Amino acid sequence: MVMKSSVEDDDVGWGLGVPEKMRNNANWVDITHEFKGACKGLSNGSVFSRFGLFEAMSAIEMMDPKMDAGMIGNQVNRKVLNFEQAVKDGAIRVRDLSLPELIGIMDTCFCCLITWLEGHSLAQTVFTCLYVHNPDLIEDPALKAFTLGILKVCDIAREKVNKAAVFEEEDFQAMTYGFKMANNVTDLRVTGMLKDVEDELQRRVKVHAYYCLHHPLTCELTTGHQQCLALFSRIKFTRLLLTALIAFTKKETSSVSEAQKLMQQAADLLPALRSSIEHGIQSQNDTTKGDHPIMMGFEPLVNQRLLPPTFPRYAKIIKREEMVNYFSKLIDRIKTVCEIINTTNLHGILDFFCEFSEQSPCVLSRSLLQTTFLIDNKKVFGTQPMQDMIKDALRYFVSPPVLSSKCCLYNNHQAKDYIDSFVAHCSRPFCSLIQIHGHNRARQRDKLGHILEEFATLQDEAEKVDAALHSLLMKLEPQRQHLACLGTWILYHNLRIMIQYLLSGFELELYSMHEYYYIYWYLSEFLYAWLMSTLSRADSSQMAEERLLEEQQKGRSSKKTKKKKKARPLSREITMSQAYQNMCAGMYKTMIALDMDGKVRKPQFELDSEQVRYEHRFAPFNSVVTPPPVHYVQFKEMSDLKKYSPPPQSADLYMAASKHFQQAKLILENVPSPDPEVNRILKVAKPNIVVMKLLAGGHKKETKVLPEFDFSTHKYFPVVKII
Amino acid sequence: MATMIEENGPSTHGQGELSSYSSRACQNLESLLNKNMRIRMTDGRTLVGLFLCTDRDCNIILGSAQEFLKSSDSFSQGEPRVLGLAMIPGHHVVSIEVESDSLVSKQGFGSNH
Repeated sequence: MVMKSSVEDDDVGWGLGVPEKMRNNANWVDITHEFKGACKGLSNGSVFSRFGLFEAMSAIEMMDPKMDAGMIGNQVNRKVLNFEQAVKDGAIRVRDLSLPELIGIMDTCFCCLITWLEGHSLAQTVFTCLYVHNPDLIEDPALKAFTLGILKVCDIAREKVNKAAVFEEEDFQAMTYGFKMANNVTDLRVTGMLKDVEDELQRRVKVHAYYCLHHPLTCELTTGHQQCLALFSRIKFTRLLLTALIAFTKKETSSVSEAQKLMQQAADLLPALRSSIEHGIQSQNDTTKGDHPIMMGFEPLVNQRLLPPTFPRYAKIIKREEMVNYFSKLIDRIKTVCEIINTTNLHGILDFFCEFSEQSPCVLSRSLLQTTFLIDNKKVFGTQPMQDMIKDALRYFVSPPVLSSKCCLYNNHQAKDYIDSFVAHCSRPFCSLIQIHGHNRARQRDKLGHILEEFATLQDEAEKVDAALHSLLMKLEPQRQHLACLGTWILYHNLRIMIQYLLSGFELELYSMHEYYYIYWYLSEFLYAWLMSTLSRADSSQMAEERLLEEQQKGRSSKKTKKKKKARPLSREITMSQAYQNMCAGMYKTMIALDMDGKVRKPQFELDSEQVRYEHRFAPFNSVVTPPPVHYVQFKEMSDLKKYSPPPQSADLYMAASKHFQQAKLILENVPSPDPEVNRILKVAKPNIVVMKLLAGGHKKETKVLPEFDFSTHKYFPVVKII
Repeated sequence: MATMIEENGPSTHGQGELSSYSSRACQNLESLLNKNMRIRMTDGRTLVGLFLCTDRDCNIILGSAQEFLKSSDSFSQGEPRVLGLAMIPGHHVVSIEVESDSLVSKQGFGSNH
């Protein structure tokens, strides 16, 4: 056997940059035959290795299309060229591009941008457009300005998302693979270039219009006019989008209002974009070039070698028809984000973040909201320190004497130390809480469970500070109290988090039907009960402070001020909590009754334990001290119906459930200026009242068909449907 | 000492008991473990990596594998693509090469040349 150590024919092409090992073929010895021979001696089914079977299993398999991304390059009939090569080859042009070509390229680019924002990698979306790899080589001014604009948009978006840090790998791919993102050009220069192209196009449009006006018979010009307009709209849209994003990078809150205006202007262009999509050239569906249609100027596989081995082959780029819809919704979300600057109190801000999150917004809008709220993670809206906001929130919620300027504690040195230190410790957990509300719904639930630990620590500290301030106050102003003020406020937030954690489990479809009863029980009999008492305690505390202030003022002025009856600040929240509690109670009793009638399918396997499931569902609550977690045995005792004599039958429970839904309906119908949430709950409460009454009357009791729970109207409370 | 792992049984450490197996071939294979190996595949690509594992059908696992394309083809024939742990099915192996320094004994692979 001859030792094959000579240079082989096809190795002539090895160029620079090839590692030494590969180039210097004299070192390599061919052992193919001996190796194969040795392998044949191995017994069937054994592997020869230093590591185990498990590691062997985790290797990627070459020549398997599912795992071997590099294989595609050999399967596709066309040559995969990069930008420079394609230009040299004449495969794409950098000048003299027709209007339909420009429109088609730009629309495809927009689609790639959207696909990237939806969580795919840059390498398989925006950078499949060859033009963005090196805009300097582009001679067509419109395309050049556009590609630079797109790069800048990507760069700023990426920066914002990274900074906000409210994404996980399912939301967003932050890798840039070393691509150049137009760093050699300033933002201002790019917007300027776009504006120049816009102005030139606008001039052409005017010339066309003038010509058509005076030569109405030469109608072939009108297509050119439309295409010119189409291009103009796209360039302007890009400029507005970019300028809006640039505005978000500025620190002043005034730039947020500016961004909102720009977004509105961009929205105004959308109809023009939609109606002109048809003018753009389409992808060529040439099967000799592979299995996917290729758009001119795009090469889906150009970056394939940059991707890790197990990446999916192609990212599915959205269709042009969906492009405008997506932009429309994105612009709406960004405009909503801009509204945050109008809310100045902490509780209002928290509510804003919660509500915004409920529509499951995209990662970009969530990130913009975060970075607008906490600019550079230091001050709220860049102006207010978090601690001041916390103090304001305390005043609004529970009016603690220590924060009242009329109280002697306000200027007491020691009291100030206590309260300042407590508020300083609150800062980080509350910033974390707001950041948590910026994550996607699934991750949010998980993180809410974890932050309860931090709040438990705060609870502890609050109680201690309250006690200290109370004893201090007793000595100085005996008629005033400082009982559980701070504790009440922290407890309120604790309960909110716990309730949100449980409710979002319905939204995320985590619970099985046979679990509903204990989830709704925990909410109605426990968490909402605590919430109600916490809110009323806070309300009393506020009233006590107000009475004190009034008495102090009465002593000074002789004028009798006419007392205007204004709504208590917490009254709406108390009302809504009552409604929620009733809805949960109704659902709890419904589930118990359905179970009594054998209408709930339960797991039947040998090692099943409801206790294990229960403890798992409420596990994050174990770190909370107030309210103390209800363990399974305790829950069973507390919820045992046998303690009533006679114990209720299913009919009694259906009636009780119906009454709860009725109560919720009454409460909500009396809410002044109802918001969409109120209406949603009513849409669930009303049919449920009827269904429960029917079930109480024995309707379809014998049927084997199980009831259905329809969460499409309200994600936390289902409409119960008897089939 | 290399491990001979039975698929359906416990791993046996130390000397494998295979009477029909040439112990010299076994030693030769073992001497190649963790050495650089260059494998040419049926589609013209070349993988370079550390030889970690093989079996009777000559399926080979390389560690820290790098993939080099055919030089006549795309622009990046010089730039290897990093794969990590890669398995080449035996029927796709065209040629197997090791560095001459890796060949230890006179009776090992390549010694008959």
